[in-house]
Amino acid sequence: MSKYRYLCFLFVSMLVPTLAFGAGETVHWMTPHYTFNRTTVIAGARYFAAHCMACHSVSSLRYEYLTADLGMSKSEVMKDIMLPSGAAFKGTIDSPMPSDMAAKWLGKPPPDLSHMDRYLGSKFIYTYLLSFYWDPARPSGWNNYVFPMVAMPNILAPWGGTVGPKGQVIYPGKLSPAEYHKNVADVVAFLRYASDPSYFKRMALGPYVIGILLLFTILAYLLKTAYWLDLKKKGRHVDSRVKRS
Amino acid sequence: MSRFSVWVNQRLPLDETVKEHLTEYFAPKNFNILYYAGSLLLLMIVMQLISGFFLMAHYDPTSQGAFASVQGIMYDTNWGWLIRYMHVDGVSLIFILLYAHMFRGLLYGSHRTPRELVWIIGYVIYLLMMAEAFVGYVLPFGNLSYWAGEVITSIIHAVPIVGPSLTTLARGGPGVGTATLQRFLALHVVLFFLIILAAIVMHIVALHKVGSNNPDGIEIKKHKGADGKPLDGIPFHPYYTVKDLFGVGVFLTIFVTIIFYAPTMHGIFMERTTFLAANPMVSLPDVTPPWYLSPYYAMLRAVPNKYYGITIMITSVLLPFLLPWLDRNPVRSSRYRPVYKTMLIVAGISFITLAWVGEQPPLPKFFLIERVATALYLGFYILLPIISTIEPTRPVPERVTG
Amino acid sequence: MTTVTDAEHDHKNITRRRFLTAATSAVGVVVGGMAVVPLIESMEPTAAALAASSTTVDLSPIEPGMQVTVPWQKKPVIIINRTPEMLASLKETMDKGILKDPLCKVPQQPPYCTNMYRSRIPEWYVGIRICNHLCCIPHYRPKKGSVAPWWLGGFHCPCHGSMYDLSCRVIQGSPAPHNMAVPEYEISTEKMSTTITHMYPKAHLC
Repeated sequence: MSKYRYLCFLFVSMLVPTLAFGAGETVHWMTPHYTFNRTTVIAGARYFAAHCMACHSVSSLRYEYLTADLGMSKSEVMKDIMLPSGAAFKGTIDSPMPSDMAAKWLGKPPPDLSHMDRYLGSKFIYTYLLSFYWDPARPSGWNNYVFPMVAMPNILAPWGGTVGPKGQVIYPGKLSPAEYHKNVADVVAFLRYASDPSYFKRMALGPYVIGILLLFTILAYLLKTAYWLDLKKKGRHVDSRVKRS
Repeated sequence: MSRFSVWVNQRLPLDETVKEHLTEYFAPKNFNILYYAGSLLLLMIVMQLISGFFLMAHYDPTSQGAFASVQGIMYDTNWGWLIRYMHVDGVSLIFILLYAHMFRGLLYGSHRTPRELVWIIGYVIYLLMMAEAFVGYVLPFGNLSYWAGEVITSIIHAVPIVGPSLTTLARGGPGVGTATLQRFLALHVVLFFLIILAAIVMHIVALHKVGSNNPDGIEIKKHKGADGKPLDGIPFHPYYTVKDLFGVGVFLTIFVTIIFYAPTMHGIFMERTTFLAANPMVSLPDVTPPWYLSPYYAMLRAVPNKYYGITIMITSVLLPFLLPWLDRNPVRSSRYRPVYKTMLIVAGISFITLAWVGEQPPLPKFFLIERVATALYLGFYILLPIISTIEPTRPVPERVTG
Repeated sequence: MTTVTDAEHDHKNITRRRFLTAATSAVGVVVGGMAVVPLIESMEPTAAALAASSTTVDLSPIEPGMQVTVPWQKKPVIIINRTPEMLASLKETMDKGILKDPLCKVPQQPPYCTNMYRSRIPEWYVGIRICNHLCCIPHYRPKKGSVAPWWLGGFHCPCHGSMYDLSCRVIQGSPAPHNMAVPEYEISTEKMSTTITHMYPKAHLC
C-alpha cells in the first residue's frame, strides 16, 4: 500500500507545478514577434552577451558555432560576444561567474540556458522576461508574475522600466516599449537557436534531401507500373524470369 | 549457372532461399496500401541499428556523463543531430507502422487460422519493442528519462513477493543511476535487440510457411493454375519488391521531412522535459508516457483502484494474444463482416482516444472519457466471441477482388 | 498499321524496365552515399575533442637551464628555457659538422621555426619529445660530456642510441633519420605562456 501512496505522491507532485501554472489563469502568455533568421539571432546573441552572459552560460554552444551557423566573422565574435575572460574561440560559451559564488550571491546559481527554449518554450521565456515587478519584500527587490519568488533580479529594468505589483509604471525605461520588446524577442530568438543549433543547417540541406528522395520515389513508381503492366494485360502473373531475360 | 555459383550453392542454399522467399513466394495480387507497413518496419529496424551504432560510439553510460554526452552528440559531433533525430523519430515511426500493421491484420483476419503463430510472434515483437523503447528512453538521462525509469521500475515493485528484489535488480541500486544506465544500455543494444531480430526472422518464416493473407481474407492456394501456381498469386520478386521500393521512397521522403522540419514533432516525438538534465530533486511538471504507450497508461488511470487498475492494464496488453480464438466467425475479412468492421473501428478509435487522453494531465474532467474509451476498447474483446457467432455476413467471393 | 503487336509492346516494356531499373539504382546509390557520408564524418573528432586539443603552459616557473615536459594530445612536449651557453652549443655542433640536417631543410618544424634554434624565440625550445627513430622518449642530457667526451648537451635515446643536440637536431651516426618534430604553437614572453595548438602536418613524428 505504501508503494502505491508513493506512486500517487509522485504523480501528484509532478502535477503540482501544472496546477500552479493552471491556477494562475491571469498569466497572459505573450508570443514574441520576430522572424527567426540569422540576423535576429545575431542581434540576440549580441544582446545576450552584453546583458545576460555575465551570469548565464550557454555551455552547449561554442563561440566558433556562431561563425559556422550564423555567418558572423571570427573577429566579430571575438569583439562582440566573447567576454574578456580568456575564453577560447573553440571553447564553450560559459559565464565568467563561478557557480559557487553565484549560489552565495543569488541563493542559487543562474541556470545554464542551452536547452531552456526547448524545455520551457519561447512564449514562456518571452513572457517571463517581461513579467518582472517591483516587490520590496524580496531580497533582490524583484518578483515575477510567471515565476513567483524567482531569484533573478530584473537586470533589464533600466531599459524596460520598472513596474509595480499592480502593473503601474514606477520608472519608465530608457527604451520605448516597442524597442525593448524587440530586444527581448531577439534574445528569445538567440535562445531558440542555442537549444536547436542544427536549425539553419537543416533548413539549408532539407530541400535537396527531399528533392532527391522525391526523384527516387518517382522513378520507383514508374518502375513499379512498368512491371505491373504484366498483370493488367494478362489478368494474371507472367513468369518474371521469362519476361526479364 | 557459373561454376562459382554451383560451388557456393552446394554449400549454402542461396538460390533455394531466394526462390523460397522471393522469386517463388507467391503473394496475393491484391495487397493494398496497408501492406506496405511490414517491409517498411524491416527497413526501420535496420535504420535503428545503423543510427544506434553511431550514437553508441559517442554515448557515455554514467549518471554524470550521459546527458552531457547526448548533448555533445547534438552540438559537437559532426552530423550528430541527424543521427539522433533519425533514431528518436524512428521510434515513433516504428510504432505508427506497428499499429498500422496490426490493425491491417485484424481488419482482414490475418491472425486467423492457420496464421495464429504469425500473429502471436508478431505480438511478441510488439511487446519487445515496447521494452526496447522504454530502456532506450532512459538512456539520454534527461529529467523525463530519469522519472520514467523511476516510475516504471517502481511499478515492478507491485509484483507479489519478488517485487522489491526485482526493482533493485532492474535498477542495480537504490535508485536510477549509473548501474541502471549501464544495464539498460546492455539490454537495449544486445539482449532485447537480438531477441527482436530472432523474433522477426521467426515471424517471416512462419508467414512464408502458411502464405500471406489478403484483403478478401480468402486462400489463394485454393485456385491453382495448370502450372501448380496460385492463379491470384504473383511472385514476390519482382512485383512486390518494386512496389515496396516505391513505398520506401514515399516513406523516406516523409521521414526526412520530419527530421529536417519537425524533429521534435511539437513535443510528441521528443518531449520538452527531455531537454532538462536528470534531477532527482526536481520532479516534472507533467509525467506522461510517450504517445505509443499512453493508451495503457490511460487504462491504468481509468480505474480508481490500484489492483484493478494494474489488472486492467495487464489484461489489455495480453488480450490480443487470444484474438485468433476469440473470433469464431468462419469469414476472415471485415470486408464481408460489417458488424465486425464497426466493432474494430470503434476499438481503434477508443485506442487512439486513450493515447490522447493518456497524454493529458490526470484531471477529473478527463475521467469520463478515459473510462468510456477503456470500456469500449475492452468491450471489443469481450463481445467478440459472442457477436462473431451471430453476426450477419456478406457472401465471400471465390477469387480475390481488386 | 498503327496497332502495336504484343511482342513489340513487350519489347518496348522490357527496354523501359531496364532503363528504369538502371535509373532507380543510380539514384538509390546516390541516396545511400548521401546517408553514408554523415555517418562516417560523425566518427571524426568532435568539436569538443578539437577544442580540448590545444594546451597552454605557464612559462614563469621555468628558470634558465630548466625544462618541463607536459602532456599534449597524449604526447610528451618538452619546453626548455635555454641559457646563452646552451644556445652557443648549437652553433658549435653546426661548426663541427656532426649534424644530419643542420639547416633543418626537412620540414620537421613549422616555417617560423626553420632556424638553428628551431623555435620562435631562441631561448624557448618547444618540441615533441619523441625520438624520430622508433617513438621512444629520449633522455634529456644537458651536461657537456655526459654521453660521450665530445657531448655538448642534448638528447640521448635509451632504445637505440639516437643522439640529438639541444635543438633536437639529430647527430650523425644515429639510427633516427630526421630531427625531432616541432608542433605549431604560439608563445608570448609578456604573458609568459605558450599554447601548443596542433601538429605541424608535414612533420614526421616517428
